[in-house]
Amino acid sequence: MGWAFYNVPCSDTNTSLHPFSLAKGLVTSGRNTCTPYHSSTVKIPFVAILRTNLHQEMNYFPDEVIEHIFDSIASHRDRNSISLVSKSWHKIERCCRRRVFIGNCYAISPERLIGRFPCLKSLTLKGKPHFADFNLVPHEWGGFVHPWIDALARARVGLEELRLKRMVVSDESLELLSRSFANFKSLVLVSCEGFTTDGLASIAANCRHLRELDLQENEIDDHRGQWLNCFPDSCTTLTSLNFACLKGETNLSALERLVARSPSLKSLKVNRAVPLDALTRLMSCAPQLVDLGVGSYENEPDTESFAKLLAAIKKCTSLRSLSGFSEVAPLCLTAFYPICQNLTYLNLSYAAEIHGNHLVKFIQFCKRLQRLWILDSIGDKGLEVVASACKELQELRVFPSDLHDEEDNNAAVTEVGLVAISAGCRKLHSILYFCKQMTNAALITVAKNCPNFIRFRLCILEPNKPDHVTSQSLDEGFGAVVQACKGLRRLSVSGLLTDKVFLYIGMYAEQLEMLSIAFAGDTDKGMLYVLNGCKKLRKLEIRDSPFGNAALLADVDKYETMRSLWMSSCDVTLGGCKRLARDAPWLNVEIINENEDNGMERNEEDEREKVDRLYLYRTVVGTRNDAPSCVTIL
Amino acid sequence: MEKDGLELEITELRLGLPGRDVADKMMKKRAFTEMIMTSSASNSDQCESGVVSSGGDVEKVNESPAAKSQVVGWPPVCSYRRKNSCKETSTTKVGLGYVKVSMDGVPYLRKMDLGSSQGYDDLAFALDTLFGLRGIGVALKDGDNCEYVTIYEDKDGDWMLAGDVPWGMFIESCKRLRIMKRSDATGFGLQPRGVDE
Repeated sequence: MGWAFYNVPCSDTNTSLHPFSLAKGLVTSGRNTCTPYHSSTVKIPFVAILRTNLHQEMNYFPDEVIEHIFDSIASHRDRNSISLVSKSWHKIERCCRRRVFIGNCYAISPERLIGRFPCLKSLTLKGKPHFADFNLVPHEWGGFVHPWIDALARARVGLEELRLKRMVVSDESLELLSRSFANFKSLVLVSCEGFTTDGLASIAANCRHLRELDLQENEIDDHRGQWLNCFPDSCTTLTSLNFACLKGETNLSALERLVARSPSLKSLKVNRAVPLDALTRLMSCAPQLVDLGVGSYENEPDTESFAKLLAAIKKCTSLRSLSGFSEVAPLCLTAFYPICQNLTYLNLSYAAEIHGNHLVKFIQFCKRLQRLWILDSIGDKGLEVVASACKELQELRVFPSDLHDEEDNNAAVTEVGLVAISAGCRKLHSILYFCKQMTNAALITVAKNCPNFIRFRLCILEPNKPDHVTSQSLDEGFGAVVQACKGLRRLSVSGLLTDKVFLYIGMYAEQLEMLSIAFAGDTDKGMLYVLNGCKKLRKLEIRDSPFGNAALLADVDKYETMRSLWMSSCDVTLGGCKRLARDAPWLNVEIINENEDNGMERNEEDEREKVDRLYLYRTVVGTRNDAPSCVTIL
Repeated sequence: MEKDGLELEITELRLGLPGRDVADKMMKKRAFTEMIMTSSASNSDQCESGVVSSGGDVEKVNESPAAKSQVVGWPPVCSYRRKNSCKETSTTKVGLGYVKVSMDGVPYLRKMDLGSSQGYDDLAFALDTLFGLRGIGVALKDGDNCEYVTIYEDKDGDWMLAGDVPWGMFIESCKRLRIMKRSDATGFGLQPRGVDE
C-alpha cells in the first residue's frame, strides 16, 4: 500500500476541519512521516484513496497513531470538528485533548468537562460578560472560579495551566490551586478580582514547577506582604512574571534575587513601585529578556543613573516588547532608544503624562513595530509619523487620554490620523480607535486602503455624532468597511447610525463573530438584519438602542448558535424575556436589575416593564445556582 | 450598495431618532442630548443639522457639566484603564493650577497650587515651604548664584527656565515644576541623541 498526504487546511481563522475537507485535500506523494507543519496545515500519512470515508480508512491505524495525528491539530475549533466525525474519533479525541477553552463558564459544569476530557492539562475560562469592563455588570454577578478548581482537584486532573478572564478568584481558590496540582506551571489572570497578594504568596510558595505568573489588569488587594519572598530558592524555572497591576510596594531585593536565579526568564513586567536603579539592576542580570514592562519614573534621572540604565538597556538585544511607563519622565524614555529598532510591540497607553512630541520622537525609530498601543495625545500629526515609520504595523490601539473632555483637546485624534495610518500601514489588520469625530469619506478610504481588517473597533467619543462634514449618519462608512474587509471577525460601531448600517452588516459581514452596538439603530429591523445575516455571529452586545421584543423573539434558534447576547437600556420587556425563556429552555435568560432589593418583586411587575439589562447565553447545565439577588434567571 | 427591491424605505433620510416611545425615550435621550448640547459650543454644526436633536423637540439645556457623566460606562474604556491612565480632572482643570513639583534628591513628588501664588516671589516662598528648605526660592530670583535651578515643563513639552516670562503667561503654560541641581542642568534640555550615541 502506498502512502500519500492530504494537505489539511487547519487554520483557526476561517475554515474548520470539516470531515469532507479532509477527504478533498490534494494528494501529494512522498514521505511517510506525519509531521505537524506550522499551525496552518497538517500532513497526514494516509493510504491512497480517492475521496470520502477518510475516517474509516484511518481507523485501520492503532489509536496511538491517530492520537499523534490529532495532537498536531491545535485549534479548538478544528478539534471540535474532529470529534464530530465519528464515535471512534470522538472517543480518541476526548481522551487525548490537552487544552480546553470555555468561553462562558456557565455554559457547562466542571464535572461534565472533566468527564469528557479526563487528560486535561490546560484550561481557559471566561466569566463575566464583556460589558462588565464598563461597570455595567454588578460586582457580585458571578463567574467564580472556585467550583472549577475544586472539581479539578477532587478528580485529580493533572492541571498544568489555568487562564482566566473576568472571573472572581479568591485567596482560598489560589491556595487550593497551589496545593492540588503538582505539575502546575502557568497561571494567567486577566481582568479578574477578589484576591490579594496572600493568594499570590501561596502560588509562589507551593507551585514547584511554576513557569508563568501573568497578572493583567486585575484588581488585587495589595497587602504589601512578602509574596515575592515566598518563591523558594529552588524556584529557577520562571519564564514569565507580570505583576504590573499591583499597586503596593515591592520587595526589591526579593525581586532581584528571583530574577537573578531565573535564567529562562523571558518576560518581566514590574509595577509602579520599582524605581529606576532597581530596574537597571534587573535588566543587567536579565539581558535575555524579550518582553519588559517598566514601572513609574516621574523624576528625570541624574546623569549617572541615566548612564547605567542606558548601558543595561544596550545589553538587552533580545528585547522585542516594551510596556508599562505608568508615569515616565521623557528622558527615561530616551534611554530606550538603543533597542527601538528591535521592538515589535510597544505599549505606552498608560503614560498619561508624556507629551505627544516625546511619544513621536520615540516611535519614529521603531521601524519594526507590529503592535502599538498608545494614547490619543499622540495626535493626528503623530499618527502621520507612525504611518511613515512603522510599515510593519499590524495592530493599533489608540486610547482616550482625557475622558472628561475638559481640556480644549487639540491632541485628540480624528479621522485624519486614521486615514494616514491606513495609507501608510498596509499590513494593518486590527484597530481600536477612540476619536473625537469621523466622516464617511474617511471610513471609505480606510476600507479601500486596508481590506485585511479582522478587528475594527471605532469609538467616537460622543454618542450619536454624525459625519462632522456632511452631518449624515455613518452608515455608508461602516458599510464600506464590512464590504471591503471580507475577513472581518470583530466590529464595534459608533456615531450616528440608522438601521441601514445593520442591513450592510447583515449582508456583507459573513465572517463576523462579535459585534458591539451602542446608541445606534432606529427599529427592530436593525437587530434583525444582523441576526438573520451574520451566520457566524457568536457574541452580540447592544446598549442604548431601540431594539425590542420583536427582534429578540424573531428567531429563537439563532441563540443556540451563539455564545451570548447582551442588551442593556434597550426596548425589550420583561414579558418578551419570559416568553424567550419559555421557548428556549436551553438558554439561561438573566435579567439584571438596577435596584438589588427589587430582585424578587420584579416578577410580579408589569410585563410591559422594560428590562434594564438582559444577558442570555446557551448552556447545557441549566440555571446556575450562584446568582445574586439582583439577577433574576427566568 | 443595496440590492434592488430591498427595504427602500430605510434609505429615507430621517431627522432625529424615530421609532421610539416618546415618553420613556425622552428621559434617556435627554441625558445625551444635553451632553451633545453642552459640548457643542465648539461644534456648532451639530446644532444646525438637527439630526441629533431629539426629534425637533429641544428641551431647555441643562448647562451643568454633570450631564456629561450621566452615561454609565461610556466611553467604553475598561475600569482598570480609567483608574490608571486617564488624566484626573483635579489636576488638569484650568484655574485650579495644581502642578507636580519634583526636586532632585527627594524621592517623593509634591503637588502645589500655582493659582494660590500671586507671582514669582510667592512661588519662591511656597517652594521653600513645600520642601522645608531655604534657597530654592532664591534660585528664582537670583539666577546664577545658587545651587539649584527651577525649571518647568510647558504645554509643548519643552523644559524652560522659570522666571523668564511674565507670571500670567507662566501659570497658563506651566504643567509641572522641577528643582534641579545646577550641576546637572548643563546639558539638560538638549535634544536627545539618536540611536548611535
